[in-house]
Amino acid sequence: MNVVESTKLALESIWANRLRSFLTLLGVIIGIASIIATAAVIHGLNLYVADKLSNLGQGVFVVKRFGLITNRQDFLDALRKNRRLEAIDGVAIRDRCPSAQAVGWQASVTRDVVRDGHEIRDVQIGGITPNLLEIEPFDVAEGRALTPFDEERAAAVAFLGHDVKEQLFPSLDPIGKSVRIAGQPLEIVGVAAKKGSFLGFSQDNFVKIPYGLHRKMFGSRPTVDISVQAADPARLEDTMDEVRAVLRARHHLRPGDPDDFAILTAEGINDLWRSLTQTIFSIALFVVGISLVVGGIVIMNIMLVSVIERTREIGVRKAVGARQRDIVQQFLIEAVLLSCLGGVLGVLLAYAATVALSTFTPLPAAFPAWAPPTAFLICTAIGVFFGISPAKKAARLDPIEALRAE
Amino acid sequence: MAPTSEAIPVIRTRGLCRSFAMGATMVHALRGVDLEIHRNEYVAIMGPSGSGKSTLMNLIGCLDTPSDGEYWLDGQPVARLGEAELARVRNQQIGFVFQTFNLLARATALRNVELPLIYGGVPPAERRRRAEEALAQVDLRDRMDHRPNQLSGGQRQRVSIARALVTRPSLLLADEPTGNLDSKTSSEIMALFDRLHRDGNTIVVVTHERDIAEHCHRIVTIRDGVVASDERRVERAAEGA
Repeated sequence: MNVVESTKLALESIWANRLRSFLTLLGVIIGIASIIATAAVIHGLNLYVADKLSNLGQGVFVVKRFGLITNRQDFLDALRKNRRLEAIDGVAIRDRCPSAQAVGWQASVTRDVVRDGHEIRDVQIGGITPNLLEIEPFDVAEGRALTPFDEERAAAVAFLGHDVKEQLFPSLDPIGKSVRIAGQPLEIVGVAAKKGSFLGFSQDNFVKIPYGLHRKMFGSRPTVDISVQAADPARLEDTMDEVRAVLRARHHLRPGDPDDFAILTAEGINDLWRSLTQTIFSIALFVVGISLVVGGIVIMNIMLVSVIERTREIGVRKAVGARQRDIVQQFLIEAVLLSCLGGVLGVLLAYAATVALSTFTPLPAAFPAWAPPTAFLICTAIGVFFGISPAKKAARLDPIEALRAE
Repeated sequence: MAPTSEAIPVIRTRGLCRSFAMGATMVHALRGVDLEIHRNEYVAIMGPSGSGKSTLMNLIGCLDTPSDGEYWLDGQPVARLGEAELARVRNQQIGFVFQTFNLLARATALRNVELPLIYGGVPPAERRRRAEEALAQVDLRDRMDHRPNQLSGGQRQRVSIARALVTRPSLLLADEPTGNLDSKTSSEIMALFDRLHRDGNTIVVVTHERDIAEHCHRIVTIRDGVVASDERRVERAAEGA
């Protein structure tokens, strides 16, 4: 008997027992759906992170006192060992790294911003070299960016993040108005375009002021983050080596000592992020794997029941000329179809969940293209693996006994 | 039918034995059956229960293989065939008719009749044509799309006869074909067998009912695993469908 006939028969049999088939498939449906939904959320987060990181600008990296620290001990060590970075480090990099096209830096503190009795708490106040707005591109929505001239005279001017503007000047033109930070009045010269939030944190809650002014207001205690733009993004690594050499010399590190500063690239952050989500995904895969095994066992069980129920039918088929392999084929195809049907429903459910998640929650989720073919492969494997033993049992039935069965 | 095949018996057995292990003891259901049935014979196999007639029928129908002895079906030795080959012999040379009809409940009459052709690898269009033809032979053309539960007992048995005929087998093997039918329907079914016999089919009916057996031209009685009597009867040409 050919495969088309077996498939038709299997579909008839699944349809004839539709409620039972559906219940049988719940395990597989939920397993496949949850694995794809997990993958969709992680895939979505990855896309989102990559997109946000690309904000950093082409060929840009940041030198910081602390890298991405993932445990307490690393943090304590770094706190003891890593020296503060200062503006003068930035100057040294600018002067002595030929392949660095632009070098800017920023010192940050967190303060309240006040306007006529309105107040926003805990805004990031960044003292920046004006070129930083080009290196980590900030688009100007209103007014102008900070200029080298502002920096030279340490002018009392401010460039607002989108959120700060929205809260303090909801419907007013803020340009030329003033705000106070730590008692210092600042004239607003520009507003940045909205950057949006990143994993729930607003990226628009800042005020940028000239570095010189920042230093006057808050001293030189705060460490600076130095942003470096390589002249040739393709030779980013070379520029990083130059920067590393300059800083190691300035910090009197001997060969073999570890760096006492960190260099972050968009790629580096992305890699760390991906390795993190990979771990989450492997754990999810394991948990879901269990539910798929259970789903497979349920399919095996229902196929065994089906073989018993259809003993007489198997007898009739054998009497009119079905060989063992015809019977194996019929039951195996039925198990595979059953399992794949669960896969299809699981994929649809996951797709609906993905759409719902990205519509109704802040979690970004993107349905991965590899999900349907992978689900198909997994379900076929489950069907074959768990279907083979019931199918063989059916095929080995003695036709005489089978015909006599009730 | 090739003229030479007239000489070759449809069934020829020599010393056919079949034993079963029942725990520690061996039960000898058949103890050496010699039987020859020729083309277009109409034979009843009778015997009380436990006589071995069911075992003989299973062997003749190639559902089972003998413990000892030889069996030629249409001249071909079949006593030592493997599982797949036996399935092919059942598919092409034997048409079974069962006491309980054994139709597939979910399938229409037409699909039921097509079943042996599916396993025979007949392409769909021809399959349908031949199944319709077989249903016409049993006067059920107008019930093709009915499922077994929409048919009467007699109609079901006719579907099952059509299924047996559809492969144009060497042998129609009916096991108590009227056992589940009332007497009126029984005589209709036997009339159908009579007609199929007149059309040239070779028919073996296994029964324990004398009046069913009397439709046949030869009555073989099995007792204690051997042929107890083999009685040839006068043609009952006058009676018919």
